[in-house]
Amino acid sequence: MIKKTFKLPIYVVLFVATILFAFVVSCNNDSEESKIDDELKAVTEEDESVLDSENNMGDIMENLSSPVEMAALIKDNNVPFSLKYLSNPDNIDNYSTKFEQALGLGILGADLGYLNIYNRTTYVMRYISAISKLSEALSINQFFDFETLKRLATNNENLDSLIYISTSSFNRMDKYLRERNRADQSILIITGVWIEAMYQATQVVKEKHNEKIAERIGEQKLILSELINTLKRYQSKKAFKELLDDLAEINKIYDKIEIDYQVGEPETVEIDGRLIIMQNETSIVNMSAEQLNQIISIIESIRNKRIQLNN
Amino acid sequence: MKKLLIPFIFLLALSAFSFQAKAQCNDQLVNTCALNVGDNATYIKDFKARLKASKRGALPIASYAIVLNKGTHYRFTVCNAIEFEGEAVLQLYDENNNMVGSTFDLARGKDFKAFDLMARKTATYKVFISFKGGAEGCAVGILSIVR
Repeated sequence: MIKKTFKLPIYVVLFVATILFAFVVSCNNDSEESKIDDELKAVTEEDESVLDSENNMGDIMENLSSPVEMAALIKDNNVPFSLKYLSNPDNIDNYSTKFEQALGLGILGADLGYLNIYNRTTYVMRYISAISKLSEALSINQFFDFETLKRLATNNENLDSLIYISTSSFNRMDKYLRERNRADQSILIITGVWIEAMYQATQVVKEKHNEKIAERIGEQKLILSELINTLKRYQSKKAFKELLDDLAEINKIYDKIEIDYQVGEPETVEIDGRLIIMQNETSIVNMSAEQLNQIISIIESIRNKRIQLNN
Repeated sequence: MKKLLIPFIFLLALSAFSFQAKAQCNDQLVNTCALNVGDNATYIKDFKARLKASKRGALPIASYAIVLNKGTHYRFTVCNAIEFEGEAVLQLYDENNNMVGSTFDLARGKDFKAFDLMARKTATYKVFISFKGGAEGCAVGILSIVR
């Protein structure tokens, strides 16, 4: 008996295989998407209990205070690394309220930025652990890929990625808080970053005067004004009122500092295929040594109070 | 005929696959763009823009307020998502609505993936992202500092 074998044409086999492959990939994507949606939904539902229903921050600056920009300026001015500019991550137990935790998260974020900029990965782990605990307490730990951060820090590998993941995690968390009517926590984190970055800069200048860093401190008049305006939306709450009172002390000094502007047209050049714009409009800060010393002193006092060194 | 049929069926199957595969208009676009801003550039912020095609001639624009610091060398980079045809243009304006920079250089009639700004004035600025001809598009702008 002759057995007849049924043979499918090769193009039919390939077509079916490709469609099956596409289907499996699609299902996986859908499944992953569904999983992420479920996680987000769970987080959102969980957040309802801690939601502080306030208006969002509207068009507040996207980068009001960056965890790395001040640290980069300090390092680029050849200031040696020092742990004394940083808060102690073991202090996180002092942060018991959502207010304190959000502010503390910002403070630690600025410290992490400083450590990353100086490539001090040995210390990074302690700060990542502390940030993990605080973000968990605020139900926003889903934005930090702590395992990847730990791997990058432990292996001292790909420092650009470490800085990127750290900074973008803070940015995504900030966006999430703003979109979920938790702008009060967002502005507290930003304020925490600002206070700590100012502490680092003022301590550097206190030890050894540096014109560029001093000028950057003077230019913070603009940032402080934005911070105060945003924080004022929540001043009916006691903790916010107290923070505003502290910041008002610094603002009194800034009120006397003049910033002049000189106009000029930007010039554009193309160098090696890259477009470079030289801005010819300049800002000039007129700040006396006495005013700078007053800012240094008030920032030190506010920052130490906030990390509760005096308790 | 059969020879032509095989590539045709393949293309058909692959186009079905492409349709099902995940679009790149997501955080992956930010990651890819942010990690390719060039040597010595440190990521600061990203600006995502997902805009629909313009209707009745109005150009859809995404805008973001930022602060730039004097004495800092900034880089603005823009990356398009692969699944949209819209070509993004990132523009920077100062607080007096004067254009400071753009990834499309009008004088040269040329597109650039990025532009650098040597900032000499600490102030608030506006970043605008739009798509050429008001096309539908998805893009991300990256602000980084060059050190």
